[in-house]
Amino acid sequence: MKAGERIVAHAVVPLDFTYNYRVGQYIERYIKALGEKKIMAVKCQDCGRVFVPPRKICGTCNRILDEWVEVGPEGTIEIFTIGHVKLNKGLVEKIDKPSIIAMVKLDGASSLLPCVINGLDPEKVKKGLRVKAVFKEPPEDSLFDLDHFEPVG
Amino acid sequence: MRNVGIIGVGYTPVFVSKRKDVNLAEMVSESVEAVFRNTGLSPDDIDAITFGNMQTFEGVNLPHLLMSEHIRAVDKPIIRIATGGTTGMSTLQAAYYYVASGIYDVVLAVSWEKQSEGDSQVGLAGIVMPEAMVMVQHGMDLLGGRGMGGMGGGSTGAAAYQAMSYLHHSGADPEHIDKMAALERSNAALNPYAHLRKKTTVEDVQATPFISWPLRYGHTCPTSDGATACIVASEEKAAKLADKVAWIIGVGCCTSDPSTANFIEGQMTDPADQTVCKIAAKKAYEMAGIEDPAKEIDLAELYDGFAHQSLMWLEKLGLCKEGEAHKLLDRGVLNIDGDLPTNPSGGVFSTNAIGSSAMNRATECALQIMRKIEGEHQVPKTVKKALAHGWGGLFQYVTVMILSDTPRKI
Amino acid sequence: MERKVAVVGYAMTRQASDIGVPRPIMLFELVKGLFDQMGITRDDIDTFVLCSNDFQCGRTISNVFEDTPVGAYMKDETKVEADGVMAVMYGAIRIMSGLYDTALVVGNSLGGSEFRPYLIMDYQLHPAYDRQLGILNEPVTAALQAKAYMEKYKITEDHLNKIAARLLRNAAKNPFALRGKEDATPEYIASSEYLYEPLRELHCYPFTDGACAVVLASDKRAKALTDKPVWIKGFGDSIEGYFLGDRDLSWSRSAKVAADRAYRMAGISNPAKEIDVAEISIKFASQEPIICEALGLFPEGSGAEVADRGLAEIGGEMPVCPSGGGLGAYPFSAMGLIRVAECAKQINGEAGDIQVKDVKTAVAHGQDGFCAQHNAVMVLSSEEG
Repeated sequence: MKAGERIVAHAVVPLDFTYNYRVGQYIERYIKALGEKKIMAVKCQDCGRVFVPPRKICGTCNRILDEWVEVGPEGTIEIFTIGHVKLNKGLVEKIDKPSIIAMVKLDGASSLLPCVINGLDPEKVKKGLRVKAVFKEPPEDSLFDLDHFEPVG
Repeated sequence: MRNVGIIGVGYTPVFVSKRKDVNLAEMVSESVEAVFRNTGLSPDDIDAITFGNMQTFEGVNLPHLLMSEHIRAVDKPIIRIATGGTTGMSTLQAAYYYVASGIYDVVLAVSWEKQSEGDSQVGLAGIVMPEAMVMVQHGMDLLGGRGMGGMGGGSTGAAAYQAMSYLHHSGADPEHIDKMAALERSNAALNPYAHLRKKTTVEDVQATPFISWPLRYGHTCPTSDGATACIVASEEKAAKLADKVAWIIGVGCCTSDPSTANFIEGQMTDPADQTVCKIAAKKAYEMAGIEDPAKEIDLAELYDGFAHQSLMWLEKLGLCKEGEAHKLLDRGVLNIDGDLPTNPSGGVFSTNAIGSSAMNRATECALQIMRKIEGEHQVPKTVKKALAHGWGGLFQYVTVMILSDTPRKI
Repeated sequence: MERKVAVVGYAMTRQASDIGVPRPIMLFELVKGLFDQMGITRDDIDTFVLCSNDFQCGRTISNVFEDTPVGAYMKDETKVEADGVMAVMYGAIRIMSGLYDTALVVGNSLGGSEFRPYLIMDYQLHPAYDRQLGILNEPVTAALQAKAYMEKYKITEDHLNKIAARLLRNAAKNPFALRGKEDATPEYIASSEYLYEPLRELHCYPFTDGACAVVLASDKRAKALTDKPVWIKGFGDSIEGYFLGDRDLSWSRSAKVAADRAYRMAGISNPAKEIDVAEISIKFASQEPIICEALGLFPEGSGAEVADRGLAEIGGEMPVCPSGGGLGAYPFSAMGLIRVAECAKQINGEAGDIQVKDVKTAVAHGQDGFCAQHNAVMVLSSEEG
């Protein structure tokens, strides 16, 4: 092959492996609680912040988190975006109906939770709007038991 | 240039085939917590972090990002190093350079692998994945015959060529591989952080089936879940922070090209030649002021994915003459109580969380020098200078580190 | 004391959506070309630092087939799997250790033709949480970050359009950039489609193929290799937590900490005054004010004023990304390296149509992760000092 010569042939090589992730001790307990329609968070006893989703370490305080508290199920929209596309394996695809993705501050939590908001006209979404969690019925013991959020009332 | 030493080591509580109870970040955090526990230091003492693993094994891109809190890296500098099998040692060498340069004084090096979450053989075959997939698309049979056939059974196939060539050139018998395997597995039985911990006899090894002649199942390493954390410090800081230090007095690294195991392009050179290893070792010896490694090195921890490699590396590293390693084995020189204890930890051959495997060679040397080995594989002889070795890529990367009980004269 | 390190040579490929040559040939031609231009051979290089990524290459151990083309055969070589600024930093640190006098740092990425950048970013999500849920992806996180900044400081979409238009105009003058438009206006940007509000297609980085190589040398060797060494005066990097919900997205804590480290090392106390040009890595137009403010180039929350008054233009008070930056091209692993090379170009007066007047000191920036979770900053200068 000479310098500058263009390639005409490409090989398309999908890399589609299956991985088997352990969710770990914290997400495990979080999922179990979702089945009971509860959202569990962990509290750092040093800085007092309440984290959801729960995780082992408060990086700022270097503390292993072991105090569990219930948060939500209602909360407030802090930041949101209206989606006009979705991603399918990294490819941008148009969608017919815009979606709402928001960072919600659940009551009692310090951190924001990324959520999908349904049942709301995208024109009407705004910062400060109250939303509540909608759980899957019956639960299937997965993260998807917290199905989506919708406006309160 | 400043003197740099290892002042502490932390492992996950166990290295096993499946850590089902924790996720990636939680597992790695255990090693970091262990090193802080062992040294009495806290994250506040750490200036920077070096981090390594082989990310296709877990299918997470740049995993240091999602575990930044777990490795206590928040607000700290962190660099991710990945060089295949040598990743662990490359990560530790990065920590060495960070401190030697004078930029940072105390650096935490973290390396790990949680192989149970992915498919290791896919991960390994992934080294040549683009080529392999093109060959499949052209109707080639990857598992048999020619071409990629050597990669059947992942890296074991490729290693079999190496073992064959080694036996031919060294005059060792296949039974020497069995013997080395039995020796290392029995060492591992003494090491609480080893994965395969069963006292093993030559007959036990010989009872296992062949994968690809001359390599048997009992000659190959396991795939493990585990993590290692190691703290290195400048001479000045080490004096304040540590009671014992294993000084890094020599580092070497060399890269060959993939033709040492490149079955794809069909231009294979002898995989047992390993000139690359000799160059890396020479650099490390020069830096450490070692003239006769066979005399001056007291202990070796070698990267042996397969049992024949321990013998091969001893020769390539100049720890004995070419063709002599199996004679040392026969004379018991390589035993834990021998003159040149080799892989007293049980080696990669017994514990293989790939990303951490090469780092564990250096941390084991450090702990032997400090006489802080947990378990019964502490060697009886005084270890003044020890050699740690890493190996990876398509048989083409070698890293070497010389550790000592006394710092270099600068 | 620490040794001084200089950039003594640099070369980059044209950044393209499909570079049209296989990776090894691209790397060989780039590096051999650089060596020829400098009048050196691979024997003059003591240590090689590669910068690439297994996911981007679709290959375990991405550097396996990159070492030989760049001349690392039987040499000391390692690989950084992060942004290119980190790789340059590590190359400099290796030289500062005293064990080496020269280093070649090479980064490459084929995000235009070989992989899907947004998919590669999905693999950075927490595999047992965010990746399962599928709520977050790269443009969503960027849109949320943009919203957080814009709401806090009353920045409008028009300001974003102005930023993007400026970058595309700059890129049009940069022969190496992939996407540029000579007469780009805010209206032109506003005419592109929304992805996630407020981000439109033209606020986002283009998917890019590209590579860049930089040669570093100690003060001992630098002057023998070039008449115009560009000195690395300071560097620093920092990371913050992973979960977006814990972070204040309206600013970048890690970029600030990284910049503070770099400025301290470089002896810079007033970056807005002392720095003449900035080449920063931004993936979305909305990240520019956030990163610039964290780097102390503009006051906090000044995004609207900077855009309205054209302060970041090539002829402005503080030129930012005369090359067009991330909107002109974003070849992942090569991105930070290109920023360093662009800074060196500016300092040496070799930047052609995008040359900023009288550049003595420049700052290069690189990032990794969602909403720039990990940032690296490097200060370069014509003065050895």
